[in-house]
Amino acid sequence: MALMDRHPMTPPPAAAPPHPTVPIRQPRLEAIEGGAAARPGPVAPFSLKRWLESGIGGAVLGSLSIAAVLLAWYLATRYKVEFYIRFGNIPTPADVWRSILDVTHSTKYAVNIGISVRRVLIGFCGAAVVGTVLGVMVGRYRIFRSLALPAMELFRPIPAIAWVPMAIMLWPNNEVSISFITFLGAFFPILLNTIHGVESVDGVLLRAAHSLGAKEKDVILYVVLPGALPHIFTGLAVGMGVAWVSLIAAEMISGQFGIGYFTWEAYSLISYPDIALGMITIGVLGLVCSKAIDMCSKLAMPWLALAAGAAK
Amino acid sequence: MSTPSLDSPSGHIEVRDLDISFKARGATVQAVKSVSLDVRPGEFVSLIGPSGCGKSTLMNAVAGFTGADGGVLTLDGRPITGPGSDRGVVFQQYSLFPWMTVRKNVEFGLKMKKVPPSQRESQARTLLGLAGLLAFENHFPAQLSGGMKQRVGIVRALATSPQVLLMDEPFGALDSQTRSVMQEILTNMWQRLRLSVLFITHDIEEAIFLSDRIYVMTARPGRIKADIKVPLPRPRTPDMMDTPEFASLVRSLKKLIREESLAAMGGELRGGGYAGLSTEIGPEGVAHVL
Repeated sequence: MALMDRHPMTPPPAAAPPHPTVPIRQPRLEAIEGGAAARPGPVAPFSLKRWLESGIGGAVLGSLSIAAVLLAWYLATRYKVEFYIRFGNIPTPADVWRSILDVTHSTKYAVNIGISVRRVLIGFCGAAVVGTVLGVMVGRYRIFRSLALPAMELFRPIPAIAWVPMAIMLWPNNEVSISFITFLGAFFPILLNTIHGVESVDGVLLRAAHSLGAKEKDVILYVVLPGALPHIFTGLAVGMGVAWVSLIAAEMISGQFGIGYFTWEAYSLISYPDIALGMITIGVLGLVCSKAIDMCSKLAMPWLALAAGAAK
Repeated sequence: MSTPSLDSPSGHIEVRDLDISFKARGATVQAVKSVSLDVRPGEFVSLIGPSGCGKSTLMNAVAGFTGADGGVLTLDGRPITGPGSDRGVVFQQYSLFPWMTVRKNVEFGLKMKKVPPSQRESQARTLLGLAGLLAFENHFPAQLSGGMKQRVGIVRALATSPQVLLMDEPFGALDSQTRSVMQEILTNMWQRLRLSVLFITHDIEEAIFLSDRIYVMTARPGRIKADIKVPLPRPRTPDMMDTPEFASLVRSLKKLIREESLAAMGGELRGGGYAGLSTEIGPEGVAHVL
């Protein structure tokens, strides 16, 4: 008890017998386990780095940047700022909000979204299948590389949008030609990344598989494909982005229906808030698609999250 | 653990007058020249020599990864024409499939042999248990230390019950403590399995500790310079490394290797444009002087 009286601030644990070394040992243990920050006593000085890492800081700063954009938009459109760029006809955030509320009453908006999503899915999935299969063949077999690469190099520099008139002539209807343009946009990033992925598979893994009795089909299925998968997913992510770009352009040029057509039509019909609504919708759809690919890649490649150097 | 090598004495590697050359930047390099060697059933044989002497090339030929220009290469009398699961291979670099868990890696060879999944799993678990790795069966290779990765690599190579095990400097990338532990694990495993092993290394102590016989190779083009029997008793224990017998073996092997290393460096000096220096002190001369 005499010990406790001398050290009223640091009572020893109830179960432990009083021992003169306890008050000395206590802070040393804390220094090992929790670092200086965990030590009780005076409040640690404010650290920006720690605040940002805590999650609250990140959320606050994130909302702040979005609020700043909204505020700038509001001020520029409310006071119709004009200095070279002209905000005279640009809808205010409130206009756009009203048009969001309006649009939920009609099916037109939802139908347009549905049609765009369907076109992207058809074009992108087609490109994913054809691009990956062709990429593995070109990356693995010399004969396919010699056969296919020159023709591909010929077509690769032509942007998907440049295909619009040709696509309309080629395919029986508008729907197929727009999907085709979306396919073309996604195809080359997927193909090229797959080829690169196949070429980057470590040779020792191929030798290991062969020495364990793997035939060519097993090597492709269990070594080449998973080895190339990180690159394939890079291709899919880039391809998805280009697919949306190509789709919106194609819809604006040749379209009937679709969110690109909706946006362009709003301009023709002078319903300016709908332009902003269309743009926001395209942004959200693109974001959802890229997040979906991100999620698929995490599910498909659980081993990557464990590799050294992966940021958490 | 039952392997064919226990029941029937098989796993005899015969190499006769093997020549291997490859093209590098347009020039033909003779990597291995008229090499003859034997790994008898159940024997642990090391191949030692200066770096770049063609040890790995020779092993790649036995594994079936590279073809030969001339000579005969057989396993139990059958010519070797390509890689196969009758020869387990452990590589110098980590060669586990990063996308498979430890157990799936070990199961891979069995899967290729069309062994049903439940049987695969139980066999893999038995082997992993023997290697002390069962607790890590669901880990990915990225979660393992270097020594553990290499132990899984050995277990994977053994899973298909091969007649021979080919090991290409398997502990070369490990630190010296891990390395000596791995050597002990390997010698204990071999003691139990008694399969034929062809072990490539440039570490003299490692070769002596593990082997029944050691082939010393010359500098490129690689030839067999000496065939040395290791008279140490079995089973081997680490304290044998402190005996005078071990030390004298190390000394004589060191001398043999040193001559070849100097020859190899002399060749490099000559090739590297130091013509004046190498004509003055030829490789033999240097070996003699030092």
